[in-house]
Amino acid sequence: MKEKPINHAGAAATFIADKPHLDFHDARLWDMRQKRDAQMHVLPEWQELRSRASAIKEHALANLADYLEQFERNAKRNGIHVHWAADGTEHNRIVAEILAARGARTLIKSKSMVTEECDLRPYLAARGVTVTETDLGERIQQLDDQLPSHIVVPSVHKLTEDVARIFARHYGTDPDADDPHQLAEAQRLAARPVILHADAGMTGGNFFVAETGTFVVCTNEGNADLSATVPGVHIATIGIERVVPRMADLGVFIRLLSRSALGSPITQYTSHFRGPQDGGEMHVILVDNGRSARLGMDDFWTSLKCIRCGACMNTCPVYRRSGGLSYGAVYSGPIGAIIDPTFNERKYSTLPYASTLNGSCTNVCPVKINIHEQLFKWRQVLVEHHQMPFVKREIMHMAGKLMGQPKLYRAAIAGTETALGTLPRFALYNWLNPWGKNRELPEPVKETFHSWYRRNRPAAKPGQTDNAENTP
Amino acid sequence: MSARDTILATLRRNSPDPAAHPLPEPALLGESDASPERFTASLIPMGGTMLDRDPDETLDQAIARRFPQPGLMICSLVPEATGTVHIEDLPTPQAAEPVDVTIVRAAFGIAETGSIFLSESQLHLNAIAHLTQHMVVLLDPAQITANMHTAYLRPEFHTARYGVLMSGPSATADIQGVLIRGAQGVRSLTVCFASQ
Repeated sequence: MKEKPINHAGAAATFIADKPHLDFHDARLWDMRQKRDAQMHVLPEWQELRSRASAIKEHALANLADYLEQFERNAKRNGIHVHWAADGTEHNRIVAEILAARGARTLIKSKSMVTEECDLRPYLAARGVTVTETDLGERIQQLDDQLPSHIVVPSVHKLTEDVARIFARHYGTDPDADDPHQLAEAQRLAARPVILHADAGMTGGNFFVAETGTFVVCTNEGNADLSATVPGVHIATIGIERVVPRMADLGVFIRLLSRSALGSPITQYTSHFRGPQDGGEMHVILVDNGRSARLGMDDFWTSLKCIRCGACMNTCPVYRRSGGLSYGAVYSGPIGAIIDPTFNERKYSTLPYASTLNGSCTNVCPVKINIHEQLFKWRQVLVEHHQMPFVKREIMHMAGKLMGQPKLYRAAIAGTETALGTLPRFALYNWLNPWGKNRELPEPVKETFHSWYRRNRPAAKPGQTDNAENTP
Repeated sequence: MSARDTILATLRRNSPDPAAHPLPEPALLGESDASPERFTASLIPMGGTMLDRDPDETLDQAIARRFPQPGLMICSLVPEATGTVHIEDLPTPQAAEPVDVTIVRAAFGIAETGSIFLSESQLHLNAIAHLTQHMVVLLDPAQITANMHTAYLRPEFHTARYGVLMSGPSATADIQGVLIRGAQGVRSLTVCFASQ
C-alpha cells in the first residue's frame, strides 16, 4: 500500500501558530548554534579536525565490511556477543530473544536513535517486556507518546509547563510545577527504583572501534552508564556506519561531537565498553536497516558519515521554525531530510523541500557532509521518480518555460518588481503566495541587472548577442 | 545466507573505491599544555569542583569539610582516606545505592576538558560511580595528559573493559533548556590533586 507523503508544510503551519512554543524553540536552538560557534572560535585547528573527521569516516565507509569483521573479531575475543540485524524486525527479534533467554521482563534504556528506527518499544511491549526510557528528554517523549523531535534534545519543542503536565499525570507531581530543577529531580527519583530492579539495560553507541572491539557512548545525564552497569545484562544497538578504524581516531570525533551539538567541550560522560563487567554479559547488535544499500548511492552515501550531533538542525531556519515533529520521521531537520527518503521515498518525498538551500547545514557539519547539495539532488531524484506534488510540478513546469525564454523571463521579472512596489498588502500577502506567510517580501529593486547592463554598456556587436545572453 | 553474510556482501558490492579514500595518520592537534592549572580551568565550566587541601590537613579532614553533614555513608576506594563502608561489603551494584560519597583515584586526567578516567581497576564495582550521590576523585598532577588526542594514546583504552571519562557531574538541559547539574548520576564531582 502506498503511504501518503508527510504534510510537512501543514504541520509546520500548526507549529508556527503557537507563538510561545515557536519563540522558545527558535531561540533555544539558535543559542546552541551560537555556543557551538564560540567553541569553534577558540580552536584554531577546528577546520582541520573537520577535514580529518570527514576523511576518516570516508575511509571507514569505503572499507566498511573489513572493519566490521575486524570489530567483530576483537569484540568476541573480549567476551562480547556480536549480533547482526539486516533490518528493524530482525533487530527487535534479537533483543526479544536475549531477554527471553534470561527471563527478563523489564528493560531500562538510554537514548538510541537506531532503536527508534526499529520501533523497538511496541515490539517488546507486545511480548510482555516493560521498557523504560531513562534519558530525561526521551522519557518525556515516551510518556507523551511522541517521537523524539531532535536527535540530541528529544523534547526541545516542549516548555516547562508541558513537562509538568505530563509528569503530573504519570509521576503524580504538581501539575503547576514551574521549576525545571524540581521536575528533573522528580525524574531522578522515579527512575532510580526502576533502574535498580531492571532485568536488563540497553544503550546505543556513538562510535565503535575496529582495532580494539570497543564501543563508545557519549551522554550527559549518567543514565546510560546506570543502564549499562547496574542490571548485569548490557545490550548495545549500533548502526554499522559508526565504526572508526583506530582508538587514536576517537580524539578527532570526541573533540567535535559535543562542541558541535551543545557547544560544550565534551559530554559529561564518554564511556568506553570493551568487554562485560565481572559477572555480567554484553551484547552488541550491528544494525544495517538500509545502510548497506545507501552506501551504493553515488550522490548520497556520504550521509553515512553523520555522527548525529544535530548541528544542522540547530542552524536550519526551517527546522527551528517548524519543529522536529513536523517532519513525521525518526530523523528530522536537514540530515533527516536527506536520509529519510532512503527509508521510504514516497512517504518522505516532501522533506527535501523543507529547506531554503542556504547551505548553513553543510557549513556547520563536523564531518563535512554536503547536506544542502544532497537536498537539492534529492529534489531532482524525486522529480525523476515522479514523487513531486502536483501543484509544485505545475509551477516548475511553468517556471521551466519562463526561464527557457530570456525575453519572456525579463518581462516577468520587471512585472514582479513593479508588482512588489505598487500592489496593496492584501494582494501580496494571501494564501496564493506562500512566500508572504510569516515573512515580509523583499523591497523591490529599482532596476534589474539586465536593464542596468543595457544602459551602462555599449550595445553588443551583431553576432555577439547570443554569447552575452549566455553569460551568467 | 545469514544477516551477517548478506550485509557484508552488500557492503562489498556497494562500497566506494577504497583507493580514493586513504586513512590519514593519527592526529596530534591543538594545545599541548598539560598543567594542573589548565585542567582546573577546564573542569570548572563542566560543573566540577576542586578541593584544595591546607598543608597540614589530612584527606579525611578535607572531605569532612567538603561534606559536613553527619551520618553520611562514605565508600573509600583509596588508602589515603577512611570511609564508613568497604567496597568488599557491597556485593552487587544494587548494594551501592545508599552510598553518599565515593572516593576514588583516577588513572589520569585530561587538561583540555577537565575529564578524569575511571575503569574497573579503580572502581572495583562499576555501578558505584553512578549510584553514589557524590564523588571525590584523587588525581596525580603527573597523570594529566594535554588533550583528547594524547589521551587516546594511554594504554588504559586497550586494557580496561569499562573505561569512563567523567567531565564534571551528571547534567541535563532537557527541560526548557535550563542547565541542571546533578541529573541521574553523581550530583557533584570534586577533584583533589594528590600525588601518588
